[in-house]
Amino acid sequence: MKKNLLLSLAATVLPLAIGGCATKAHYVQTGGNQSIVSIGAINIQDYTQAASTMTSELLASGVLDKVPNPPAILAISRIINNTGQQIDTDLLTKKIRVALLQSGKALTTTTFTIGGPAEDPMAQALQQQNQARLNQMTARTPDFTLSGKIIQTAVKEGSTSQSTFSFQLSLTDPNSGLAVWEGEKEITKQGGRGSVGF
Amino acid sequence: MKTRIFLPLAAVGLTAGLIAVSGCKTSMNSVENAQKTGQRQMVTDQRVITDRSLAKKVSIVGVNQVITPGGFLKVQIELLNTTRSPQSFSYKFEWFDANGMLLNSAAMPTYPDEIQGGEDKFITGQSPTPASKDFRVKFIANIN
Repeated sequence: MKKNLLLSLAATVLPLAIGGCATKAHYVQTGGNQSIVSIGAINIQDYTQAASTMTSELLASGVLDKVPNPPAILAISRIINNTGQQIDTDLLTKKIRVALLQSGKALTTTTFTIGGPAEDPMAQALQQQNQARLNQMTARTPDFTLSGKIIQTAVKEGSTSQSTFSFQLSLTDPNSGLAVWEGEKEITKQGGRGSVGF
Repeated sequence: MKTRIFLPLAAVGLTAGLIAVSGCKTSMNSVENAQKTGQRQMVTDQRVITDRSLAKKVSIVGVNQVITPGGFLKVQIELLNTTRSPQSFSYKFEWFDANGMLLNSAAMPTYPDEIQGGEDKFITGQSPTPASKDFRVKFIANIN
């Protein structure tokens, strides 16, 4: 009798308990403190933090103010992904570009590229057309190029995992080939498993 | 008989409890130059406290600001952990223009942070544009 009662009680409580843990789909603030935190992957808040920190450092350095014809023109060079996951580096660079544009200190060219097609092929074609028509360079050459690397360092001790993501950027003056500003932001996450919220 | 079982259990529980509690305790010593060269431009601040527990544990010692050569507003906040345990919290800077309008920026993140027991630390933020004139910083205790 007692056994039956316990079994029926467990059958009622267990689904409720399990169901209580699952959350319904809902909106959260992008990058806010309710975001999912993964140990072995770069989360959206990591890109935002890295971009914000490095943009502030770049603006504070004053290097963008030293160009003869402000605002400075920036070309995005190669950002190497040395992590174990496939990532779109625009998640980092676009945030930096937008922040620099909003600051009024730099503009980014979308017609200069290395290798493949330009970011804006239409603008590039029109630019080339104008140059051919006027027989002179119409585009401003970039004052700086921005390159970088994203590196992951993962370690595990017992059931605790730790991942450090290093976001490294270099701003190079193409005339001298010298890096006039360099920034690095490291984000370390540790735990047994991922979690929802900071 | 009951006492015989209870006493060893209580002893084990007490030891485990003490180990657990002492494992969470941290403390911080520091040293700095006594004769300061730099002068901080302190700001008269206005606080809205809805989480008294966090405000008590992680207290705001002072706020100072500076305008960078590029015209950006840079704010530094000194925090003190008044407890003997590490405290985990997040903070976010908000920036306002001359008309008091909130400036939206692509990269205004919520930063997770931790402060050790008894530690005094600084957090800094720089405005996204030279148009920023005022600021607000939000603090929230972390859940994990």
